[in-house]
Amino acid sequence: MSPDTTMEKIYLTPTPVRIWHWLNALGIVTLCVTGLQIRFPEYANIFGTYKAAIKLHDVAGVTVSISFLIWFFYYLFVARNLVKLYVPNLDDIRQGLFKQAFFYFFAYFLGRQNPHTATQESKFNAIQKLSYLFIMFLFLPLVIVSGLLLMNIEPLRGWIVMIGGIAFLADAHYLIACSFFAFLCVHIYMATLGHTPFSHFRQMWTGWEEVESGGRSK
Amino acid sequence: MMSWMKWVPILLAAVLLSPLAAPAAGAAANHYCITCHGEKTVINKGAHLYIDPVKYELTTHAKIGCVACHDNVTKRHPADGVRPSRAKCQDCHSSVFSEYQQSSHSQYAGCTDCHKPHATKPLLAVSSRDINSQCAKCHEYSQTVKSHSKWLPRAALHIDALPCITCHTGSENYFITLYMAIKASGSPLGGFNLADFDDLRPFLSAGKNAETMIDSDGDGAISVSELKKFNTNSRYRNIILLGTMMPEVVTHSYQILNNRWDCTFCHVSGSKAQQISYLAFPGQDGAYGRMEVEKGAILDILYGTPDFYMIGFTRSKILSIIGGLIAAAGLMVPILHGTLRFLTRNRRKEQ
Repeated sequence: MSPDTTMEKIYLTPTPVRIWHWLNALGIVTLCVTGLQIRFPEYANIFGTYKAAIKLHDVAGVTVSISFLIWFFYYLFVARNLVKLYVPNLDDIRQGLFKQAFFYFFAYFLGRQNPHTATQESKFNAIQKLSYLFIMFLFLPLVIVSGLLLMNIEPLRGWIVMIGGIAFLADAHYLIACSFFAFLCVHIYMATLGHTPFSHFRQMWTGWEEVESGGRSK
Repeated sequence: MMSWMKWVPILLAAVLLSPLAAPAAGAAANHYCITCHGEKTVINKGAHLYIDPVKYELTTHAKIGCVACHDNVTKRHPADGVRPSRAKCQDCHSSVFSEYQQSSHSQYAGCTDCHKPHATKPLLAVSSRDINSQCAKCHEYSQTVKSHSKWLPRAALHIDALPCITCHTGSENYFITLYMAIKASGSPLGGFNLADFDDLRPFLSAGKNAETMIDSDGDGAISVSELKKFNTNSRYRNIILLGTMMPEVVTHSYQILNNRWDCTFCHVSGSKAQQISYLAFPGQDGAYGRMEVEKGAILDILYGTPDFYMIGFTRSKILSIIGGLIAAAGLMVPILHGTLRFLTRNRRKEQ
């Protein structure tokens, strides 16, 4: 950012989305930590008893499932910009992905500007769109469905057998959860790449993002 | 000639029922007793007089013979009108009896309320469902689930999957037993029932036992490759292997050892006793035979036991490592990018 750059504020994230985001964040962190104890009880005893970890995992799982549904219906029926925000367009695929990757892995270190401008209509850059597309439309539904099946083994045994058995289901749930943890690490780190390390966090709390006037978001 | 022939059964009985002939000849004498007591017509004289010959033959009691317990049966039974004596269970099972007497169960049920002396089977010859059906005579299922739900997560799943004596026992260790279960007709979502021999009969060639469905090489043991063949055979698509934990020794104290309240007694990897697993096959006679399963098969997610999984215990080591690598890759991004970011901070300030 050049010294003479002026900043302006734009309202980027509406309240329902922010509530969903922090509910989801709390839920997913809880799921990761309790999940670690559930899979590796001899190495990780974080919540005292195994039973406490299971119960907390269940509660967090149901919370994340419900918050996912709220998010989905909000964007689909209220905001009506689900596809526009989350699905990469042709420009994103042809140029955006490369430009954004070049920025993150090279140009950023040289102090160059972010090629993407955050607006209410185009909140995410091409890499964000692609990542969130996979996370929100593939990984999250898969981890929710596998989790709900694992919570109801006896009544849904027929379905579990049909998709390959409970061992496959439990291990798939674990591997997707590991991918979530990996995403979380990258997501939190990338959130520090704003014009200050906390500006994106503040934006997700208040809804207002600071961008260079008439220029680039950070 | 006919006149002396009528004495043959009585003479035979006289020899076989003689206390001196027991127990070696006791089992042989059973045949004589069963001639009448194995006929359903005897029910007319009293339902308790009927003994199912097939079930009785499987019992250890059959080996010692009828007269071992009913020792006052005379040569002229039943014409003599003497009511046969009954041995008390504690005459032979004194240590079990004294252990049971100290349990709260002894106030409510006697030995024969759970164990029918003419039909009782050893632990290894019964399924967890058989065991729990005995308990359910007094402990009604929904009440049992309700009372366990107060402290046990997934109470119904535990109660369906385990015999009650897995937890209510003094046995220190367990082993895993796998049972064949078959999809119940008309139940698309759930509905797998433990398979008995009649359920499996359509899958068996004439004269073959259920174990031939899995033990394809007939070596008396189950290998991972045999499990693979079974699990991938489309003919058996409606048959799955469900696992349960059986106590290593039978006790009649029904106590819950302190460490059983800790979920990680079972839900943890590494217990040696739990690494041993067996496959139980239903026999034509209603009793189960068992075969040892290759060590590690329960951890093989693809071919071992895809429908048996205990969290924390049967986790796949390879997949645990793969998951760890995925998580580590995620951690490496902030570490590497952050390091470069730190090293280039001055250049970015200049810009």
